[in-house]
Amino acid sequence: MKPFEYYEPATLAEASELLRRLGKDASIIAGGTDLLVELKEDLRSAHHIVNIKKIPGLTDFAYDPANGLRFGALVTVREIETSPAVNGNYPNLAKAVSLLGSIQVRNRATVVGNICRASPSADTIPPLIADGASLSVYSGGTERSIPLDEFFTGPGRTVLVPGDIVTGISMPAPRPTSGRAYIKHGRRKAMELATVGVAVSMEHVAGQCSDIRIALGAVAPTVIRARRTEDLLRGRMIDAALLAEAAESAMQEATPIGNVRASAAYRRDMVGVLTRRAIGYAMGGVQ
Amino acid sequence: MNTHERIDRDLSERDFTVVGKSVKRSDTLEKVTGAARYAGDVALPGMLYAKMKRSNIAHARIKSIDTSKALALQGVKAVLTHQDVPRVLHAGSPHPRSASVTKDQYILDERVRYWGEGVAAVAAVSEEIAERAVALIEVEYDPLPGLFTIEAASDPAAPPIHENGLGQNYVLPPVFVTRGDVDKGFGEADLVIEREYDLGRPTPAYMEPNVCVSQWDGNGKLTMWTSTQSAFMVRGTLAEVLGVPLNKVRVIVDHMGGGFGAKQDLFQNEFLCALLARRTGRPVKMEFSRKETFVGGRSRHPGKIWLKQGFTRDGRIVAREARVTFNSGAYGSHGPGVTNVGTAALTSLYRCENVRLEGRCIYTNSPIAGAFRGYGVVQTYYALDLMMDEAAEKLGFDPAEFKLMNAVREGDMAPSGHPIVGHGLVDCIRRVMEETNWHELRRREKPETVKRRGIGIGCEMHGSSAYPGIKEQGNAIVKMNEDGTVTLITGTAGLGTGAHTALSQIVAEELGVPFEAVSVVQGDTDIVPWDIGAFASHTTYLGGRAAQLAAADVRRQVLEHAAPLLKAEPGDLAIRDGFVVVANGSNQSLRLSEAVGPQRGMPAVQLVGVGTYMPTKSYSFAAHFAEVEVDTETGEVAVLEVVPVHEIGRVIHPIAAAGQIEGGIQQGIGHTLSEDYVIDLTDGRSLNPSFVDYKMPLSMDMPSIRTIIIETAPDPGGPYGAKGVGEDPIIAIGPAIANAIYDAIGVRFHHYPITPEQVLNALKTKANETRQ
Repeated sequence: MKPFEYYEPATLAEASELLRRLGKDASIIAGGTDLLVELKEDLRSAHHIVNIKKIPGLTDFAYDPANGLRFGALVTVREIETSPAVNGNYPNLAKAVSLLGSIQVRNRATVVGNICRASPSADTIPPLIADGASLSVYSGGTERSIPLDEFFTGPGRTVLVPGDIVTGISMPAPRPTSGRAYIKHGRRKAMELATVGVAVSMEHVAGQCSDIRIALGAVAPTVIRARRTEDLLRGRMIDAALLAEAAESAMQEATPIGNVRASAAYRRDMVGVLTRRAIGYAMGGVQ
Repeated sequence: MNTHERIDRDLSERDFTVVGKSVKRSDTLEKVTGAARYAGDVALPGMLYAKMKRSNIAHARIKSIDTSKALALQGVKAVLTHQDVPRVLHAGSPHPRSASVTKDQYILDERVRYWGEGVAAVAAVSEEIAERAVALIEVEYDPLPGLFTIEAASDPAAPPIHENGLGQNYVLPPVFVTRGDVDKGFGEADLVIEREYDLGRPTPAYMEPNVCVSQWDGNGKLTMWTSTQSAFMVRGTLAEVLGVPLNKVRVIVDHMGGGFGAKQDLFQNEFLCALLARRTGRPVKMEFSRKETFVGGRSRHPGKIWLKQGFTRDGRIVAREARVTFNSGAYGSHGPGVTNVGTAALTSLYRCENVRLEGRCIYTNSPIAGAFRGYGVVQTYYALDLMMDEAAEKLGFDPAEFKLMNAVREGDMAPSGHPIVGHGLVDCIRRVMEETNWHELRRREKPETVKRRGIGIGCEMHGSSAYPGIKEQGNAIVKMNEDGTVTLITGTAGLGTGAHTALSQIVAEELGVPFEAVSVVQGDTDIVPWDIGAFASHTTYLGGRAAQLAAADVRRQVLEHAAPLLKAEPGDLAIRDGFVVVANGSNQSLRLSEAVGPQRGMPAVQLVGVGTYMPTKSYSFAAHFAEVEVDTETGEVAVLEVVPVHEIGRVIHPIAAAGQIEGGIQQGIGHTLSEDYVIDLTDGRSLNPSFVDYKMPLSMDMPSIRTIIIETAPDPGGPYGAKGVGEDPIIAIGPAIANAIYDAIGVRFHHYPITPEQVLNALKTKANETRQ
C-alpha cells in the first residue's frame, strides 16, 4: 500500500473544510472495507485519508411509523441487518444488507459508505432508491438533501464535490399497502457481487398497483429506475400478462455490459425474470 | 452424518486400538492458536522483501530491460534480470525418477511465453519499495505471435513455443494405448456414440499463496523456507541450477496451507529469492499476491476429449476410442504425467476389451497447467461417465444399473497394468443405490415446474501412488525414547490434510503405544529421510507403510531386549498400551520405560528402526450420488444433496478421510458449475485472477453431504490395508452433477463448467426444437 496522510477531524465543519482544501486527492474513510482493499490493490490512489469516525452525531438511528427511517453515516451494515425496525418495515433493504460481503465485512462496512462508493452493483442502493431514500449532505455549515436517485453520475461517481460529507440517509415509512422485495443474482449465496440486482417498492390493494418504484442494479453505469416499467404498472391490476409485459419493458430499460461475470444478453434476461419475481414477492409471494 | 463401516476381508482380524479411530489431530492446538508456523511467518533479522516483474505480453522476445530507475530508488538492494542469473535448462516439475519430466524452463529467459511470466526481480527493504521498483523496470518487447488455443498451437505451420524438435508444439510425443481390436469391436456394436467434451480451466486456489524465504550462511549454505509439497525436489533442482551440492541446500517446510498437487512445481520465486539473498548477503522473502498466485500458478489442464464407444444391445461396451488433447500452457510442468495418466485411465473404470487411445499435450501461450488433484483423470472420466449415462438411456437401461453391469471387477487389468484387487467399484455403486433408494427416486414424478430436480450418479477409480509413471519410495525412521515415547522422523510432507496424524496412528498401532506417545519430526531436508513429495494420494499409503515398517523394526528390537527381562522368548511377547506383556496370559508385564530405559547403572537402549517402502499400485473407488435443482428461468443449478460412497481400504482416521471427501466435493462442484480461470483469447491476458471473479463455492453453497466409507477391498500393500483418498472425490462428483442436470431438464452438456447462461440457452434451444 502506498503511504498517505491521515486526518481525524473532530467536527463536521473541520472535516468539510479539510476535504475542500485537500480536493479530489482526499478520500473519506468510515468502514474502510472498500477503500483499503482498493488502496492495497492499487485500484485507487489517495494521498489523504480523512477519518470521520471521531465526529459525533453520525451513529444515530431512528425509526418511527410517521417519519420513517433515518440513520447516520457511521451506522454499519450489520446494525441495519439486525435491526428489528428494518426487518419489519424494509424487507428489501434487510435482504440486501444480509447479502453484502461477509458478516466480518458487514460489521465494519457502513451503508452510507456502500452508497458513496457508487458501484453499479452495490447491494444497498437498489432497495434504497426503490424506497425513495434521500441523503443528507453537509458542506461548509449548511445541510442539504439529495434524493438518492439523483445522486449517481456514473460508476464510482456522484454529485458530491470536495467539502461535501454525507451525514445520513432517510426514507419514508411504509404504509399498510406497501410491498417490497430485493433479489440479488450471483453465482454464490454469500461473498458475492450482484450480476443483477432488482428492488421493488410498491403500493398495492387487492392486486391493484397504485404506485411502484423499480430499481435495477449492475445493468447500467449506475443503479437505475425502470421508470417506463413503473409507468406501465401504475394504476393497473397485476396479472400474469402484465407481469410478462413489465419484465419485457424492464429488459429494454437495462443497458448491461458483458464481462467475465455474465454476458450482456444474460444480464438482460435476468432483469426480466427478476423484475417479474420481485413484483410477485412484493405482492406477498414467498421469496 | 458420516458412516464408516468395517467389512474386514482377508486381513488379520486383529483389534485395532488407534487405527480406525478419529483421534484428535496432532496439529489442532497450534493451528487454532495461530502458533503453527508457515513459510510466510518466517521473519529474520535484516530480511529484505522481493517482488517479481511480470510480463504484460503473452509471447515475445525481450529486446531490452532497463533497471536503472529501479536500482536508483532508495531502499532497493538488488535487481535481477535474465542477464544476471544462471542459464540452466530445468524441469518445472522435477521428479528425478520419472521419465516424463520436461526440461523447458530457465530461471529467467530472454523470451516470455505467457502473460505474467516473471522477467525480473527486485529485493528491497520493504515490500512497498520492491513493488514501486518493479513498476520502474522498463522492458521493451519484440512481440511474437500468440498461440492461445490448442487449435492455433498444434497447426503444423504454427511457430514453436519451445524448440524441442517434436513439432506441432507437442510437449511430449503423442501417447498411444491399445488393447484388443477396436475395429472388430465397433463391428459388433449395436450402438455407437461419438462426442467431443470440452474442459474448462479450474485452478487449485489453495489458501496459502506461494511464498519462500532464503538465507545463506557464512559457509555458502542455503536455507530455504518454502511452501512446497516436494521439499526434496526443490532441494535437488535448486542445487542443480545454482551449482551447489545437495548438502549445501536445506529446505524447510513446517506447515502448508494447501497445494492440491500444484505445489510440486517450482515457480521461479525459489531461484530468484535464493539468488537475491546471495547477491545482497541478506535473507530475502518473496511472497506472491493472490493475483500472482493465479497468474504465475498452475491450473488443471484444459483441453478436449473426443470419445467414441460401441455398445451392444445387451449393455456391453465392445469398443472404445479416444483422443485426449490437453493444453499445457506455456511450459510442460506435469503435462507428460497428466497426459499419460489421464489417457491410460480410459482403459478402465468401465470394462472394455478393445481400446484405442491417444493422448496429446500441446504448448500454448496461456497460463501453465500443472498437477492438480485428479491428475488428468478428472477430465477423462468426466467424458467417460457422461457417455455411459447417455448410452444407458439409449439402450434402455437404468444408468446406475448400466454402470454396475460394466464396472471393473477383481482381476481386471487396471490402467497401471496391474490386476485390480477386490470389487470396490461394484460395492460403491450398489451401496449408493441402496442408500438413496435410487430406483424409487428414479420413478418419482417430474412436474414441469420452474425449478426442476434431477438425480445422477458418477463413478471413479484412482491409483494410490504414481507408479508406474514414477518409481516412488517412502522412508521413515522411528526412534523409541527411554521413557517409551516414540519419535517418527518422516519425509512425508503435510499439506494440511492431517497426514502426520495418520502416520502417528500407524506407528502407535504397530508399537502398541498410545497415540499421544508418538511425536513427528518432518519438513527439514537436513534431518528427515528422502521423500519424493506428497501427491498421488500416496501419503498414507506409501509414507504410512514406511512408518509401519520402521515401527515394526523398533518393536522387534524392544521385544528382543525385553525377552530376557521377562524370561520369555521374543515371540511370546507383545506390546499393549505401553507395556511389554507376555502373550500367554501369565500376567507378567513391564512398562516400556522399564524395558528400554536406563537401569541400575546401565544406559538406555538405542532403539532406531528404519522403514523403506516402494509400492506398486493400488486403486481406490467411489460412486457419488447427486441431486440438483435447476431453475429453468435463470439457468442456475443448485446441488441439493451428495451421497459419496468411497472404498478406500482400511480407514486410518475416519473424520480426516471424510474431510478429504467433503473438500473434494466442494472443489468438484466448483469445477462443474462455476470455476473457470479465463484468458482473453486475443492477447492471453487473465480476465479473472481474483476471488471476486474466480467463483469457488463457499460454505453457504455446500449441499448436505452424507459420506459413506466402506472397506471392502483393502490393499495388501498399504498400511493395514489402507489406500489413498485424496484425489478420488473430485473425480466422481462432476459426472454425478452433469448426469443429474440431464435428469432434471433433459439437456446433456459435454463440457465444464456448466454456467447458468449455458443452461438457459440450452433450455431455449430445446424449447424451440420442441416447438418446431
